[in-house]
Amino acid sequence: MTGATLGTGGLKYDHAKRHRPPELNVFLALILIVAVFEVLGQILPYMNGQSFLFDTQGRFDSIFNEARLKIIILQVAIVGIIALGVTQVILTGGIDLSSGSIVGATAMIAMSFAQVAEVNGSPNTRAVFFEQGWVDLPVLVPVVIGLICGLVAGLINGLLVAYTRIPPFIATLGMMVTARGVAKWWTMGQPVSFPTDSYAAIGAGMTPVYIFAVLAALFYLVMRHTVYGKHTYAIGSNMDAARMSGINVQRHLTLVYTIAGALAAIAAIVLSSKNLTAQAGMGVMYELDAIAMAVIGGISLQGGRGSIIGTALGALIFGVILSGFTYLRLDAYYQEMAKGAIIVGAVVLDQWRQRRAAQRS
Amino acid sequence: MKKTLLAATAAAALLTTSVQAQEIGVSMALFDDNFLTVLRNGMVESAAGMDGVNLQVEDAQNDVARQLDQINNFIASGVAAIIVNPVDTSATEAMSAAAASAGVPLVYVNRQPVNADSLPEGQAFVGSNEIESGTLAAFEACKLLRAAGKSNGANVYILMGELSNQAAVQRTKDFDDILATDMCSFMSVIDRQTANWSRDEAQNLMTNWLSSGQEFDAVLSNNDEMAIGAVQAMKAAGIAMEDVVVTGVDATRDALSAMQAGDLDVTVFQNAAGQGGGALQAALDLVAGEAVDSMVYIPFELVTPDTVADYLSAN
Repeated sequence: MTGATLGTGGLKYDHAKRHRPPELNVFLALILIVAVFEVLGQILPYMNGQSFLFDTQGRFDSIFNEARLKIIILQVAIVGIIALGVTQVILTGGIDLSSGSIVGATAMIAMSFAQVAEVNGSPNTRAVFFEQGWVDLPVLVPVVIGLICGLVAGLINGLLVAYTRIPPFIATLGMMVTARGVAKWWTMGQPVSFPTDSYAAIGAGMTPVYIFAVLAALFYLVMRHTVYGKHTYAIGSNMDAARMSGINVQRHLTLVYTIAGALAAIAAIVLSSKNLTAQAGMGVMYELDAIAMAVIGGISLQGGRGSIIGTALGALIFGVILSGFTYLRLDAYYQEMAKGAIIVGAVVLDQWRQRRAAQRS
Repeated sequence: MKKTLLAATAAAALLTTSVQAQEIGVSMALFDDNFLTVLRNGMVESAAGMDGVNLQVEDAQNDVARQLDQINNFIASGVAAIIVNPVDTSATEAMSAAAASAGVPLVYVNRQPVNADSLPEGQAFVGSNEIESGTLAAFEACKLLRAAGKSNGANVYILMGELSNQAAVQRTKDFDDILATDMCSFMSVIDRQTANWSRDEAQNLMTNWLSSGQEFDAVLSNNDEMAIGAVQAMKAAGIAMEDVVVTGVDATRDALSAMQAGDLDVTVFQNAAGQGGGALQAALDLVAGEAVDSMVYIPFELVTPDTVADYLSAN
């Protein structure tokens, strides 16, 4: 009890005294959740002893149910890409509410430049730039244009946060509304479908997972071993100290938000390719799912604490929960309630763990 | 003399109405929905073809409160009539009351309001009878499965739209009602889940279902987008699409293209442009003081590979 009243907060926090990295806790939580689903599958009578992760019917070469392992990762890969950018923003102590809307706007714009000339043998007259003859363009065109959209949106976010000093919540809220407006305005709400084969290949099969994995590995290294990463953590831990130690905080914040915008654009390209369509409503709530993945993965909303590995594990937990609910055929109504409870539970656990770690030191 | 005076006033009245444009306020539930966009464009196009009809279309962004505010703003700016595509079909009482007390004609379009049976004077609903769509689709699936010789037992997955949406609830109930009939009771539901009308969510959900390895014969979806998502997931898993019956509702362009490719078996055409134009006509009739049925139904139409060509340029 005295420990609590005389708590020193994070001031005496010492890495050497830490018994285990926080990511390990997240990983253990992941194992625990998988185990719960596995056990429930065995206990519940209507499941007929079906296994969650293992192949009980001899359908696959390995002992695992490979189809389920794949979908667990595949269904979170795209939001996972967004979460990589959101993680960096949160590490600076900020927040990015605009990523879902950037996904919508970028998907619409990029897809418009990826249209095929013919659908089922007749000219694709509803292609967005049919009159200009911009159909069957090389895949590089929609990809580069999409990336530019994300970079510009992210840059605007960054400039607003860094130079006007308005809170990130408001700056990115503005972008959230604006970018969604752009997504709807671009074709007046009409969906854009029928991409070229080369564009459709970007999100086909398990490619979204590979793209997510490569980007996660890349940003893990960047955050851990480069000046960019160290400055991001420094700003999130104490912005004034970072400024006084010579970091150009404004320029760095701008860069972080721009990168987050670019990652949202990559997610948009992969998503529209995977679904073979772009729609103005795409990506709604993705920003919150991405933030939830980061938070479940142990990224502190106060900034400065957490890692890309945590976010990747957070994404996996999300995937396991989604697949687990379907596996148990849990009623649709309960799924959302349970998901919300798990998100809040993860943060409560994290707070509790932080307080305990602070007391221990 | 009296007659000529009357005729003159009538002519003057006609003149003023044709010179003074009739402002019609339109509040759509949301802009970024494919079907509602076709409906909205149907309304805008038929207004463009008329003299002296001005539409002011607003986006309620799926927000009940925002929609009511828009209606009150329309009333305050003195529009001739209001057309509402309700965000929430159970939140229409307040809208009806606001329009009725201001004496402004009100037409609900596409989504049947909860007070459809007790609409005040000068109000109407234009849409399709939602009971038809799910029934048509499920019954066609039942017939296809029977024709494929599966009448001794068939497994079915059901993809549901947003659970808070009346169309999703109704279509799912229609499926259940068909499955409960003697002719179609051989179909049994393995699982039913929501994919929130979304292609991406349906694709993920279907892949999850496939991962259980359970045999199935049909996927009944509340709309086309989710049916297409399911088709994409099944094709990715290497399932032969001629062995599975997939049904949707809406007859969107993407769905018709999927049907031409042999992936989608059944969809149901809801005449969006017809509903939009019909709603505008009802509103103008109400303004002119003509009698309008309080429920104007635009029928659903079944679309199969045999009839798909007729619908390619429809929605």
